[in-house]
Amino acid sequence: MDPSLYLDRDTWVHRLDPRTKMFLLVGMFALPFVFLNPLYELAVLALVLFFGYLAQSLTNLRRIWFILLTILIVTTILWSIVGSGRTPLFLFVEREALLYGFSNALRIVITVIAGMFFLSTTRNEEVGIGLVRLGIPYRFAFAVSTALRLVPTVVATGLTIGQAQRSRGLDLESGNIIQRIRKHLPLLVPVFVTTVRSTNVFSMALESKGFGARPERTYFLRTAMSGRDALVIMGFGALLAGCIALRLAGYGGLEGFSS
Amino acid sequence: MKPEVSIEGLGYRYRGQQKPALDGIDLEVAEGEFLVVMGPSGAGKSTLCVSLNGLIPHFFRGRMEGEVRVGGRSTREGRVGEFAQEVGLVFQDFEAQLFSTNVALEVAFGPENFAVERDEMVRRVESVLGQVRLEGFENRTPATLSGGQKQRLAIASVLAIEPRILCLDEPTTDLDPIGKLGIFEIAEDLKDRDDVTLIVVEHETEETIDADRIIVLREGKIVADRPAREVLRDVGLLQDSSVMPLQVTRFFHEMGLWQGQLPLTPEDGLTEFKQRRWRVSPESHRKLVEADAKREEGYGEPVIEVEGLTHRYPNGVVALEGVDLTVRRGEFLAVLGQNGSGKTTLVKHFNGLLKPTEGTVLAGGEETTKQGLRRLGQTVGYVFQNPDHQIFSDTVFDEVAFGPKIREMEEAEIEERVREALAAVGMEGRGDEDPFGLTKGERQRVAVASVLAVRPEVLILDEPTTGLDYAEQRSMMDLVRNLNEAGSTIIVVTHTMWVVAEYAHRAVVVREGKIALQDTVRNVFTEEEALRDAALRPPHIVSFGNALGYPVLSVEEMLRVTEEEG
Repeated sequence: MDPSLYLDRDTWVHRLDPRTKMFLLVGMFALPFVFLNPLYELAVLALVLFFGYLAQSLTNLRRIWFILLTILIVTTILWSIVGSGRTPLFLFVEREALLYGFSNALRIVITVIAGMFFLSTTRNEEVGIGLVRLGIPYRFAFAVSTALRLVPTVVATGLTIGQAQRSRGLDLESGNIIQRIRKHLPLLVPVFVTTVRSTNVFSMALESKGFGARPERTYFLRTAMSGRDALVIMGFGALLAGCIALRLAGYGGLEGFSS
Repeated sequence: MKPEVSIEGLGYRYRGQQKPALDGIDLEVAEGEFLVVMGPSGAGKSTLCVSLNGLIPHFFRGRMEGEVRVGGRSTREGRVGEFAQEVGLVFQDFEAQLFSTNVALEVAFGPENFAVERDEMVRRVESVLGQVRLEGFENRTPATLSGGQKQRLAIASVLAIEPRILCLDEPTTDLDPIGKLGIFEIAEDLKDRDDVTLIVVEHETEETIDADRIIVLREGKIVADRPAREVLRDVGLLQDSSVMPLQVTRFFHEMGLWQGQLPLTPEDGLTEFKQRRWRVSPESHRKLVEADAKREEGYGEPVIEVEGLTHRYPNGVVALEGVDLTVRRGEFLAVLGQNGSGKTTLVKHFNGLLKPTEGTVLAGGEETTKQGLRRLGQTVGYVFQNPDHQIFSDTVFDEVAFGPKIREMEEAEIEERVREALAAVGMEGRGDEDPFGLTKGERQRVAVASVLAVRPEVLILDEPTTGLDYAEQRSMMDLVRNLNEAGSTIIVVTHTMWVVAEYAHRAVVVREGKIALQDTVRNVFTEEEALRDAALRPPHIVSFGNALGYPVLSVEEMLRVTEEEG
């Protein structure tokens, strides 16, 4: 299985300059936090999903739907219990607290989905170049894109090691919390050792391919801001500004909630 | 002519090590030469590689003596990045050195670092991918390539820097026979170019016949430095250096030919055999075949029964389709096939790691899906390829005791089983040692012992000889044979064909998710064409026997059936 999220599709979203995609990412992170009303959050979610549809990246949702659902349920329940409002619903749960919880859950879900669409449409290398074009030193930009690469690699190693230890009889599903954490030791030690080892080879390979050999470097991927990029940035900027204005005008809030 | 690489009195000791990894190495490599480096594990072969581009002394911590000059310039004087343009280094672990999101970007990374213009970069990517036969793969993600393709990509990514010296550290270790051949075809092409010097660390002698020169390292010193064919004919030297001699060469060596006369390939061997008017005794050969049949009669009842097994991965890829297979008690089965053919997927059904999409798998007479992984583990033990994927304890004892402990056995019982398991792998009395301080071969043994301690009836070993030298491979497989003779049913998944020939009884060839061949090893290895379709190739001595019309599996068998005229 390919553990990376990137989907090699030829859509206009994929062709955007990485800086534009980063702008969109930040914007989509900000949007859900402009509003508090779940209805408005649902609208934002719909917008983000529509964007994912345009980027032909909805299939990746299948890989994380379970996590998203868990976040949605757990967050909603937690806030319903912890928060308080004016209108009793049942037992000690108030209507406003439930709605607030649902909104917060949607906020997290939207950010996760937006982040996933970003990774589905942007190569690690593009993240690197995007950062460099924004004035960040190449070494740092490379570190960021390497970290992005490392996550799926470690996950894949972890899956193999999990199989090896389960074959020996390790059962991670039973026992109380402390027992379960202790039981992860047979997983964590080999994951750590293997990752350190391969990171060592990785850094030798980097040096051997002339990483940092010259003060300047060139890029194989071509990136350039086009008219379309400008259009997307302006359009999305306007949308964001409009949403903020809407909220300041008193729409999209949630009356009667207190934590 | 000025040497491309010149090494004088090179010694190196890694920090924290008592013994030097390299000691008094003097070596010159001429421009355009094809040099092969051989020797046992820990002889210093990889250390020699990393000293060529300045990783030693600049990257590693330790003490260096002597001088390494590349193109006349001492590696002490410049940074690794500077030498990288002259010396291309490809590491053994190809997975860890591929990091880009597609093949073209992977290849372009080196040129990018040297600020090569984009047009030139595009040209290089195209030309280099052609050289390693990966045209049309530009947009593929490296993770989706086969082992051989990944290794070729690793080579391409270094070739794109256009180094004058290319050093490959055990480039064929994880590959199926045809994948190996692919790497050596690249080496062949490079050899024909006078401007590229090739240095390859390799223990597969069959692939090194066309090298110009071979050096043999032992304990950090050069013990032989001669033309390749001369070294390959020195059977004694190779055996003493934990390198497997060419089988045909060893056969004629044992038959008493003097060194200079020894043929190297099956073809040359055939000519020699016929010229000397030797012949194969049909009676002796019949005895071999009869012994196979007799052994087969001795097997017990079925212990693993696979019926109509189909496995579809969540992404829809069909990994196995309609597989039927029965393994009986006491068998020694080899599962063969190309990287990605489905052989590992198949055996992972035997211990319940994977569940059939269709069909059934019975282990010990009961469906695997009805037994938990832990209970199944008592019937079927599984030793994974990389021992580092399972070792986590502070002591060898604790590591081996993991299985029995997790099954809540009595203290005395646990100790008894650990002692028994360590004895079985030849590591008795070493329970107090730190597993991380052991050699790869020893860690592999600890991994086997930790599975044995549960006393499973069936033992699955996934590539048990990868990364070991010849002597370690032999001792590992002798250990497995002993377990088989003591009653264990053995299933090995492997690329190493001589291991299959000499140790396994029966072979199953998996190709594109289906069983292509399944028979005694002797019969499977006569089907050279079908094997080639599955990216496999029998060992030299088997091809040699096949050409004579009498399939044999080892040099020893060939010696037994050969009769000299008169």
